[in-house]
Amino acid sequence: MNIDKDNNPTDGRGEWKQFLCRACGWIYDEKLGDPDGGLPAGTRYEDIPEDWQCPLCGVTKRDFELFIPRSINIVKPQINPISNTGGLVVIGAGLAGWAVIESVRVLDADYPITLITADSGNRYHKPQLSIAISQSKNAENLITQLATAESERLNIGLVANTFVMHIDTLNKQVRTTRGDFNYDSLVFAIGAKPVLPKSLLPKFVWRINHVDMFAKLQQKLAVKPNQLVAIIGAGMIGSEFAEDIVKAGHQVILIDRNALPLAEILPTKASQMVKDALVRTNINFLGNNTVSSIDKNENGQYEIHFADNDKTITVDEVVASTGLIVDGRLPNRAGIRFAPQQGIIVDNQTLQTSQADVYAIGDCMAIDGQACRFVAPIRQQADTIAHQVLDLDSEGYSHQTPVVRLKTKSVAVTVTGSPCRNSHWETIVDDGKTLIMQQAIEAGDGRVEIVADMDFSL
Amino acid sequence: MSHQISTNFATFYDKPLMSNTSLPLIAQWKDRPRLLQNIGDAAKLILDPIAIDKGYYPIKEMGELAKLGAFASHLSSQNNGFMTAIESTAQISKVCGTTGFLSWCHQVMGFYLDQSENTSLKNRILPNHTLGNTFGGTALSNPMKTWANIEPMILRAKKVEGGYRVSGTLPWISHIAPHQYCGAVATVESISNISNDLPFDIFFLLAFDDERKREWRLSQCPTFSGMEGSSTWKIELNDYFVPTDDIIADPAKPFIERIRGAFVLMQLGIGIGIIQGAIDDIRAVEGQLGHVNQFLEDQASGLQLALDNTVDHTRELAKTPFNPSKDYLLDVLDLRIQSAKLSLDATQASLLHQGARGYLMTSNPQRRIREAHFVAIVTPAIKHLRFLSHQLMTEITPN
Repeated sequence: MNIDKDNNPTDGRGEWKQFLCRACGWIYDEKLGDPDGGLPAGTRYEDIPEDWQCPLCGVTKRDFELFIPRSINIVKPQINPISNTGGLVVIGAGLAGWAVIESVRVLDADYPITLITADSGNRYHKPQLSIAISQSKNAENLITQLATAESERLNIGLVANTFVMHIDTLNKQVRTTRGDFNYDSLVFAIGAKPVLPKSLLPKFVWRINHVDMFAKLQQKLAVKPNQLVAIIGAGMIGSEFAEDIVKAGHQVILIDRNALPLAEILPTKASQMVKDALVRTNINFLGNNTVSSIDKNENGQYEIHFADNDKTITVDEVVASTGLIVDGRLPNRAGIRFAPQQGIIVDNQTLQTSQADVYAIGDCMAIDGQACRFVAPIRQQADTIAHQVLDLDSEGYSHQTPVVRLKTKSVAVTVTGSPCRNSHWETIVDDGKTLIMQQAIEAGDGRVEIVADMDFSL
Repeated sequence: MSHQISTNFATFYDKPLMSNTSLPLIAQWKDRPRLLQNIGDAAKLILDPIAIDKGYYPIKEMGELAKLGAFASHLSSQNNGFMTAIESTAQISKVCGTTGFLSWCHQVMGFYLDQSENTSLKNRILPNHTLGNTFGGTALSNPMKTWANIEPMILRAKKVEGGYRVSGTLPWISHIAPHQYCGAVATVESISNISNDLPFDIFFLLAFDDERKREWRLSQCPTFSGMEGSSTWKIELNDYFVPTDDIIADPAKPFIERIRGAFVLMQLGIGIGIIQGAIDDIRAVEGQLGHVNQFLEDQASGLQLALDNTVDHTRELAKTPFNPSKDYLLDVLDLRIQSAKLSLDATQASLLHQGARGYLMTSNPQRRIREAHFVAIVTPAIKHLRFLSHQLMTEITPN
């Protein structure tokens, strides 16, 4: 044991350190270890075995980096929701919005900041939503900090449960359902919202994109075991969530219009391997099926109908993971260059939109014409914007495609580079358990590594 | 005075109408700039804003403005010129906010009839209504709030032979009087106990006529801070009979959802006129007081810029008054909030610019401030508009 009763180190190797997962943002704290992953409290990073995996996303320790918590100069909290001090206005209190606020506070303790958010603003780690139910986690467990406490700690004005109705970039004003706010700089951190085909009515299908809706579904699933859940869309979130629900003791039908899961990002051979692994976990995968409509019957169950056949499937709950889109209402009204599928178009280095002093970060932003909806690059994006807002010199943002890691346990899927759907994939390894495929460097350097856990059991 | 008006203005239309026929396209009203000019000139000539503010109901003057085309442009017979109707109200409101409010009341009552599928009712009432031979307002404040989850529906209806019997008391309804009418809504109570027999609402013509004299009662309201000339009454209905012939829409809700955007948008005319009047009041004292007024935050040029933006945005939204999208309605609600806030700011500024003379009870600024307060609190008030916007933007989830 290298830890005393007060949790201080006794091994003479200095203070406890923290390490950040570059793929998902989870923080490994040496003081706490990862007991569920076989690392007792007090396990030093150097002593972590090479085959240990990130408990959230499954990458190994090589994808971790030293995390130094920011020192923030705390001044007297100023919670003044309807102040009109100008300064920085941030719209959206997800990971991206809070990251910008943290970054500005590192550089300037007093610069006026107002956070406007449609939800409560409470902080949580969104990538956990698709793997939380099997860990018996509810919304309360997932929330790491309350917005009110954070607004005091970071000395910001918090305008929660408030919708932005309009943005007037000429007069630098944000108009909300609780009043109008002037800004010197504005940051869009509005995220991306689930896009539902017309056949999926929002009153019938759950979306796993926010802790509030997660909480409602989690409560319904907790009421009784072995419920039948249909998940429509077998992309990353759909596949992760399917495994999570099965592990939580329910039955899952995973429906996709394509023949195989993850068909939009993986080569066929890789998708097949993922499908086999999901099926081994008892997920009922229904490929080549397009849902045409859903009705609610008198027992409160949902009846799913299909476009290409007459069958009807009756289930207890329906979850849709049919892709994301950025809501164009505010970008359009602000007169900002915007593409619905990709998001708000920003300058690659400054992350400024087509309007002066207006920036975008995270899921709502398009860089190099592409959406980048992963957590890993957010810190650097936030740091860049903070320097811009405060008019400080910086090297600017340099975008790197993050490592994409599926958070399933039955099969490990890692994608690097920028896979190009129509380019040739060369098989490097294919031994039935491991599959490695690679695309040419000039075609985006896409690389897929899949390791199936043949012994996976629930 | 009527004779003088008719000879002064080329757009004056005083021909008699055939009964029970639809309103024709009136050629005199087609020249939009001349129409607006005439309405503005006539308003200045015939309206006495001080007397109206104190309680004079300008019904005769409304009749003359009607014959100049002030309440007609948005109707389908006149090719749905919604912006022209809004500008007509603004021309009137610039002179007198109370009459601007009456203009909107009269316009939307015509709009309900125009959009109704009850053609015989439309032909019976709308032509004379449009020409200001008869008058009526709108009692939709309560139902609008009901559908926005703000308060319950007040009027209750029972299905009876040949129509409905309606009871209930509405607190203050404007632009009504004996022998006038308004559009009103009642919830029809379930006649049976069958569970799927859901309650629904009817939208009907509520006429204060002699035949049903014992079924309705109008009583005086307490004195308001402004709008005293708007003929605002408390309505009590006691088994008031609504014949099927007088139904504007049944069920009411889909009809209202269709016209709701235009209903709110048309209110912009009241605010636009008041704001322009306030800016004119500021300019009026610039030569004399400009050397001190320069130290005030709000100046005529800045307010005019904000007003011009509001007018441009209104013109844009008035092109598609029936756009059913949520985004369109949110834009209308946002614009309505902005116009209310600008009304408050501009009228306040005008009093500060005019100083003591603006504080006289006979002055424009003190009156316009109270008119602007009305714009901010009349249904849908700023707080209602935000509450409704909040609901519209809240994500729908399964339950």
